[in-house]
Amino acid sequence: MSELSITDLSKDLRSAIENLESSKNLDEVGVVVRVGDGVVWIHGLRNAGYNEVVNIETAEGVVEAFALNLMEDEIGAVLLGEDSAVKAGQSVRLKGTVLQVPVGPELLGRVVNPLGQAIDGGPAIVTKLMGDVEREAIGVMGRKSVHEPLMTGIMSIDAMFPIGRGQRELIIGDRQTGKTALAIDTMINQAKQDTGVVNVYVAIGQKFSKIARLVERLKQEGVMDQTIIVATSPSDPASLLYLAPYAGTAMGEYFRDNAQHALMIYDDLTKHAVAYRQMSLLLRRPPGREAYPGDVFYLHSRLLERSAKLSDELGAGSLTALPIIETQAGDISAYIPTNVISITDGQIFLETDLFYQGIRPAISAGLSVSRVGGAAQTSAVKSVSGNLKLGLSQFRELASFAQFGSDLDESTKHQIDRGQRLTELLKQPQYQPSSVWQQVVSIAAVTNGYFDTVPAAQIKDAQAALTTKLWSAHKADMTELDKGGKPTPEMIKLIETVARSAAKGFEG
Amino acid sequence: MAGRLSRRRLATYIADGLVSGTPSKKTLIEQLAAYLIETRRTKELGLIVRDVEYHLAEKGHLTATITSAFDLNNETLQAIESFVKDKTKAPNVSLTTLVDPTVLGGVKISLPGRENDQTIAHQLTVLKTRFKKV
Repeated sequence: MSELSITDLSKDLRSAIENLESSKNLDEVGVVVRVGDGVVWIHGLRNAGYNEVVNIETAEGVVEAFALNLMEDEIGAVLLGEDSAVKAGQSVRLKGTVLQVPVGPELLGRVVNPLGQAIDGGPAIVTKLMGDVEREAIGVMGRKSVHEPLMTGIMSIDAMFPIGRGQRELIIGDRQTGKTALAIDTMINQAKQDTGVVNVYVAIGQKFSKIARLVERLKQEGVMDQTIIVATSPSDPASLLYLAPYAGTAMGEYFRDNAQHALMIYDDLTKHAVAYRQMSLLLRRPPGREAYPGDVFYLHSRLLERSAKLSDELGAGSLTALPIIETQAGDISAYIPTNVISITDGQIFLETDLFYQGIRPAISAGLSVSRVGGAAQTSAVKSVSGNLKLGLSQFRELASFAQFGSDLDESTKHQIDRGQRLTELLKQPQYQPSSVWQQVVSIAAVTNGYFDTVPAAQIKDAQAALTTKLWSAHKADMTELDKGGKPTPEMIKLIETVARSAAKGFEG
Repeated sequence: MAGRLSRRRLATYIADGLVSGTPSKKTLIEQLAAYLIETRRTKELGLIVRDVEYHLAEKGHLTATITSAFDLNNETLQAIESFVKDKTKAPNVSLTTLVDPTVLGGVKISLPGRENDQTIAHQLTVLKTRFKKV
């Protein structure tokens, strides 16, 4: 008897499902009312959801858009392509999904647009999985505190403002101060140090000629195989510029969720905010400060909150973010810079003055900070860079003060001399990231006074001599030091001996 | 004059009136026309009519437009009518036929807010898009 009831129930359920599915033969349709500037207004589609994709049937084929304004009488949707083919009166259908992009290892080494379509001239990308472009950030219990280092290979960053895996560290500065260069060096270092970190570079409104140069460089450095580039040009519709960082993050999240580590670079979020402002104004949302819409903070906070270090239960993967913001005349108190500063876990501020003085990377020691990276710094670098930041900040203060007179006491003179040597030491050419042992021995040689007899102008030569001698004569020790452990007293003694001997050749 | 009424509210009022019969159809039309002129919204008439159709369909009074490349025979129209009744559960279905050679072949059934497009022109558009993507 009971068996018969179950069979009946099963039949009823199947029939109910079939009845419900059969109503799918009727698609929900709306009609285009107005179109212009990449925004389309649709009448109908009452069941459309926020961010849902709609298909507009044009003579040239189906054009996709996504719904952003859900109002009582009409829907405002942003086109994902050219609006020239879209005309009033055309039919619009709900796709039934939110925006998705292809994700997976198949994307490595490729340049794609924010829809995941190849734009590098290579074959079409076929992935097994698709990822939601907009996705809720991982919850509190799914996270772990940042504790593993993400070495940038840039001595001043790794020593003074260390970045951990899962951290969000803002790179901020005026135009032409080396913001992108820092990000690219960090990407290169992941390949040179064989960290296994996957790079996702999101170019927002960048010239394609610049992207082409970047791809070429990354190929030369052997980094492209572990890199995905999501590129948009200034001629792309604002909708694509708006989507680019979210699409890139979806691609990075695949690696994070599969117990791997990924590095996101958003170059840059200023252009992203401008694209969103354009869309919002065209959607007739009320403008606020600097004409940005009221939710411009949420625009970036929901993006950057997706970067995280996952708990061991979720595989311990990580997604690190290096957003870039361009300031005007060094003003970090403008609207978008302050927003992103308050969202991120620290910032690296690049100063124009330092850049033109030849101090490159032009990192401002006083205005830069890493709020969570200290816990992730390698013991080796931490042991030698204790008060490097304070010393350098004090030196820059003293140096500007010392310009007014020469009556300085011995300790001040000593501090200025040490600061000049440090400044010289921290200068680093582009595309030449340093490994952990190189950073440790170089910083130790200056901060411990082994190079006190070397004139500031010759510090880089002395540093080169020191690293060459150590690598040729003590390769095993340096390989051990490169693992990141705290150097033993014997190791420090060895560095001192070799550094003092190297300094002799450069005494002033 | 009160604040601006949404098209949805206007359509609900008209549809309710048409179904209940009070006020009369003539009065409803005059009221709506006067309101649209007063608020300078006569351009929205087409959209309001669509909304009224939508609300009438919700109340079981459904008008379906059948578009085909050639005239359809009575049997086919009856089959379409029973299909529409089956899918929408609307007791009152009226069909309007439209011959449009540009659809090339097949049938398009347009209901308020819903559609079943089985025309060759639609299939070709979908095919063209897929080909473009590849």
